Amino acid sequence: MSFRSKFAIYGLLILVGLIFALPMIMMVSGSLQTPEQLSRNPNSFPESAQWANYPQAITSMPFGLYLTNTLILCVGCVIGSTLSCSVVAYGLCRVQWRGRQWVMLTVIATMLLPWQIMMVPRFILISEIGLYNSLWAIIGPTFLGDAFFIFLLRQFFISIPEELLEAGRIDGLGDWGLFWRIVVPLSTPALATVALFQFVQTWNDFGGALLYLSDPQKFPLAYGLERFVSSYGDQTHLLLAAAVMFSIPMIVVFFLAQKTFVEGISTSGIKG
Amino acid sequence: MAFFSAGEELRMSAANPAAKTASLTGLMFCAPWIAGVILLFAWPFAASLYWSCCKFDIINPPEFVGLENYSRIADEVASGRGAGRAILNTLYYSLLSVPLSVVLGVSLAVLLSAKVKGQSLFRTLVFLPSIIPIVASSILWVWMLDTDTGLVNTLLGWIGVPPQNWLNQARSAISLEGAAQIGAWFSDGRLLLFGSKDALVLMTLWGVGNFVVIYLAAIGDIPNTLYEAAEIDGAGWLRRLFHVTVPMLSPVIFFNLVMGLIRSVQNFTNIYILSEGTGQPGNSLTTISLKLFLSAFADFEMGYASALAWMLFVGLVAATLLLARLSKNWVHYRGT
Repeated sequence: MSFRSKFAIYGLLILVGLIFALPMIMMVSGSLQTPEQLSRNPNSFPESAQWANYPQAITSMPFGLYLTNTLILCVGCVIGSTLSCSVVAYGLCRVQWRGRQWVMLTVIATMLLPWQIMMVPRFILISEIGLYNSLWAIIGPTFLGDAFFIFLLRQFFISIPEELLEAGRIDGLGDWGLFWRIVVPLSTPALATVALFQFVQTWNDFGGALLYLSDPQKFPLAYGLERFVSSYGDQTHLLLAAAVMFSIPMIVVFFLAQKTFVEGISTSGIKG
Repeated sequence: MAFFSAGEELRMSAANPAAKTASLTGLMFCAPWIAGVILLFAWPFAASLYWSCCKFDIINPPEFVGLENYSRIADEVASGRGAGRAILNTLYYSLLSVPLSVVLGVSLAVLLSAKVKGQSLFRTLVFLPSIIPIVASSILWVWMLDTDTGLVNTLLGWIGVPPQNWLNQARSAISLEGAAQIGAWFSDGRLLLFGSKDALVLMTLWGVGNFVVIYLAAIGDIPNTLYEAAEIDGAGWLRRLFHVTVPMLSPVIFFNLVMGLIRSVQNFTNIYILSEGTGQPGNSLTTISLKLFLSAFADFEMGYASALAWMLFVGLVAATLLLARLSKNWVHYRGT
């Protein structure tokens, strides 16, 4: 590569990097400013870093409560998804039975349905069975599987050599035993991908809370933050501090599991 | 079915005694999903189709009214109000954000695939915005798009563009009004070009990193021999880009075009937050998704909302089929 083209590439890369990074830098910078600076001169570095904005943001809204709710949702949904999707994926590729191709077809078909079609009936269903205003309205459905995750796990389970399962059968394992003792231990990378994506999805989920939760005691962070915006619009310094705290776990998770993220998105492209 | 080999099908259908237990086992393993399909998809699908032909306010039982909801939508489309306005808003946002995401995504991926030191740092910087929770990034953008002190207007000011009313203005840049504004800029230096939907497009483009990751993976799969051959034939980098990279990426571009369309039409959360759940200013952010939600849960018109959802579904299927049909002209699959 010639010096000139290398120079041009670096110039462009730095420009692009700055443009994409700038809003994130601004978020942190704004979260450390005084309300006075924010109204006068917000687009520069904090004149004196107001670390107190962070504890103040936590106390000015029920941050701990929202966080607890979010964590309950995350744990519940991750357990629900990994459990149900791996069981179903096993049934779809490791048990040979008639009818499984029809089940597989429904997995594909449901990926194509927009959520808007199901929104009203699901709301009525959730209300009818008494789950409205309960965290189970959001956790419960994950125990019934998710098309994308089932598909992802099925692709992985298929690659497990049949000889391993055959050996298990000779040792007297039934399908349930094969699933727990052989398939699940061999599939930890795929299960981790599912857990990761479900965690990110639940952490970010706004619509579920908007539809199914009305009691402020049960709000997760994503929804609680939005409610805080609409009721205390002028507390920008606290809002930005809360937004930073809400984003940090996602960034940490990304750096810890960068490879899983990038591979998960680039092989599927469906979620992320 | 293409999912299974012919041999497997034979083994499954063979009349052996184990087949029956296998069926039972398979059914047991798939039971959660089958229950899910019935409860969360099949029944809602049928119910919303029926309710779309009903007057239904949740409190009273649904009352069959035939195609009334659909004819109401048709009237609103004809007059450009209500659902008509929502469709125009959605079209504006999708037709602007989806092609721009593709162009920006491919360009960034090409740039980020250059083999230079620090490559992974730049890739991370481009990807990070798409990992920021949408609620946090919406809060951030509302602040950065502030008319008086926002970062975006400050940066525009550096290159001589007057402040824009991003979130307080219903009009949008690509329109007759927008063209008139450009004229006004030249005559007296006034310019109110960008509005709320343009702000939404800007925010969407900032989160393009997801797509970039997919393009990067696809670029990595392009065999080096193709570039070497092109270089021997004397092709410069621009010709290599348009005659090797872009054609080889075309299946992925097509995939992202469809995914981007679906995502933009179904986009809800940041629209809800940017407009504080109202579609304001001047209903300029009332997209079909938001209109549907507000009809159901603010106006309690479940029937009308269901009809809107079905219009959206049919529209999406039609658009996807159209894209698939058009794709035959420009998508090149390897080995064909």
